[in-house]
Amino acid sequence: MTKLLMNRRRFIGTTALAGAAVASPAYLRRAAAQGSGEVNIWTYNDFVPESFKEQFESETGIKVNVRLVDDQGKQFNLLAAEQPNPTVDIMTVAGHRFLQFINSELLAPLDTDRLSNWGNINPTFSESDWATINGEKWGAPILSGMEVLSYNTELVSQEEAMTWDTLFSEEYAGQTAYIIQDMMSIVMLMMGYDGNMVEYMDDPEKAAAIVEEAKQFLIEKKPLVRKYYDSGAEVQQMFVNQDIALGHSWNGPAAALINDGFPLGMTIPNEGSYGFVYTYNVANNAPNVDNAYTFLDAILASPEIGAAMTKASGFISTYKDASNYLTDLEKKSTSFPEEQLANLQFFRAEANELKYSLVDPAVEAVKAA
Amino acid sequence: MTHDASVRKDSGGNAVPAGDRTFWGRVANWGPYQAFSALLTASPRRQFLILAAFPILWLLTQHLGPMLQMLRVSLTDAYPVAPGTQQEFTLENYMRFFGDRIFWMPFFRTLTFAAVFTFCTLIITYPVAYFLARHVSRRNQMLMLLLLLVPFWVGEIVRTYAIMILLGNTGAVNLVLKWLGLIDRPIPFMYTSFSMGVGIVYLTALYMLLPLYSALEKLPQSMNEAAADLGAGAWTRFRRISLPMTIEGISSGCTLVFLISTGFYATPVLLGGPSTTVFAETIAGFFHVAGDEWPTGAAFAVIMFAAALLITGVFQKLMNMLRKGDTK
Repeated sequence: MTKLLMNRRRFIGTTALAGAAVASPAYLRRAAAQGSGEVNIWTYNDFVPESFKEQFESETGIKVNVRLVDDQGKQFNLLAAEQPNPTVDIMTVAGHRFLQFINSELLAPLDTDRLSNWGNINPTFSESDWATINGEKWGAPILSGMEVLSYNTELVSQEEAMTWDTLFSEEYAGQTAYIIQDMMSIVMLMMGYDGNMVEYMDDPEKAAAIVEEAKQFLIEKKPLVRKYYDSGAEVQQMFVNQDIALGHSWNGPAAALINDGFPLGMTIPNEGSYGFVYTYNVANNAPNVDNAYTFLDAILASPEIGAAMTKASGFISTYKDASNYLTDLEKKSTSFPEEQLANLQFFRAEANELKYSLVDPAVEAVKAA
Repeated sequence: MTHDASVRKDSGGNAVPAGDRTFWGRVANWGPYQAFSALLTASPRRQFLILAAFPILWLLTQHLGPMLQMLRVSLTDAYPVAPGTQQEFTLENYMRFFGDRIFWMPFFRTLTFAAVFTFCTLIITYPVAYFLARHVSRRNQMLMLLLLLVPFWVGEIVRTYAIMILLGNTGAVNLVLKWLGLIDRPIPFMYTSFSMGVGIVYLTALYMLLPLYSALEKLPQSMNEAAADLGAGAWTRFRRISLPMTIEGISSGCTLVFLISTGFYATPVLLGGPSTTVFAETIAGFFHVAGDEWPTGAAFAVIMFAAALLITGVFQKLMNMLRKGDTK
């Protein structure tokens, strides 16, 4: 009987604790996130190299809690829902999405004086125009990516892959895939328009007409596509399973497959494409700011870490001399010929409000068609 | 050696009952506690209320709470609320659905898919349940049920990936067909309504199977034997006895599978193609998009929830009428 009573008491105690945890208000969640030796990071898969994480934890005693994300919008919404008491310290925002996060007061300006290794970043990225907003830096650039045309080299020639038209050709019907939101920008570029929509900020009617044209194009070409996908892992799997012969992708997942020995190639087609830079950012009201800066300074410490991030993710490192630590194959998979790089331009944020107010419904319309 | 376990003496040499030795014992014998216990358990009604309090609290906070919160968000113009802005109530999010036809297609596609896949699941699992309940010995039934449960020990995503491995261009099905010489090039099963259907039927089969098994198991063998004695063939016995008497199981199974099918997200995303976009994907799109789109997503979720409930309500009503018609 005593044993039974003890079990019942334990049960009641455990239930009460579990109930309290479930019902815990924001300040309790924050208290949990504010562990003395922790740093909470929202980032993409493979953006924190495992070896670095283990070394950092053992040397500093700060536990690194990584929550994987696969979408900028999800990060925005999660953080917006948690503010003003977020559980995250460091998040991973693409440079062209800065404005949205800053305007919503979700990011804290980055105090680069606290980062003794800031100088290890290639100035092309750390000092470029998009990196400074309102006179402040908002993130530490870590990896650079671009929208590319990836193709199975056993099925598609490089010459064919030098134009986005091949992606929409009858010859490869049912063997292509793309991220539809990203393709809207690329299709606008293919048609000779500004996919960033900066040129049309003063002419919303023209902007709407261009998006409508791109939308109609994608609806017309819908019978030819095998899959609209969302994440890099999906397109990798489709290539490996030979479900597709070519597709639009980010260079990171494609490079990772090339490094694994898969017969894949990628190009920046003649019509052009867009590039972007991932940055580590400190969240506004982050619970462990000091730990966040310790982590950022450590991860920027050496080009080997940058190279490790490139090896794992396939994206191009923003660190000076990181390529010295890559194999020849890895260098090849993370670089492009000069003539192709000339076709590349970076995503810009100025017209995002106008652009996405038109593009988001268009994407839904293409999916629904 | 003797030891009196029930009585102990205090410092003054007075006997102390065993119950008072421990902390909990002292609490149990504490006057105010006893008065409070008596107050709580004074009547069966109060005892019932105390017993029911935790489940009710659980239902309210864990089931109804999130849904009410979703309903509330669906009636606002912004969520999460940006700094410096004020949230206002509006029906605009609901009007967006009714005012824009592009959202109707995935909505009706979802309901159609759910209805078709529910029917397919019923057709596929009924014979299995019938065999299990009527032809497998009692001793082996539990073992067979356990075997059928094995895939459900892993999550939805893992099982969906299993289907991908099976149906991909380099998957098992295509390899076997190629090996048999039936095809030269792989059949593109994946990213079609077929692959999505296979996935959903596989994932929901158990929710159909168990109510059917339960209904079939209760069916007296003697009724079938009597019908056979009177000259009824197998089909007639099934149509006139088994089917009407398992309507309740069919109704429960179909309701469960239909409701689950309308809400599937990961499976259509992973197995579906460009022409199989379901409403859950549309709803998810509003939650992924950075901006004030949560209220629209919440409104669309409420619309789907209400539609699914309405359809299952009508379906249940029809099944009840059928059942009553048969028992007349």
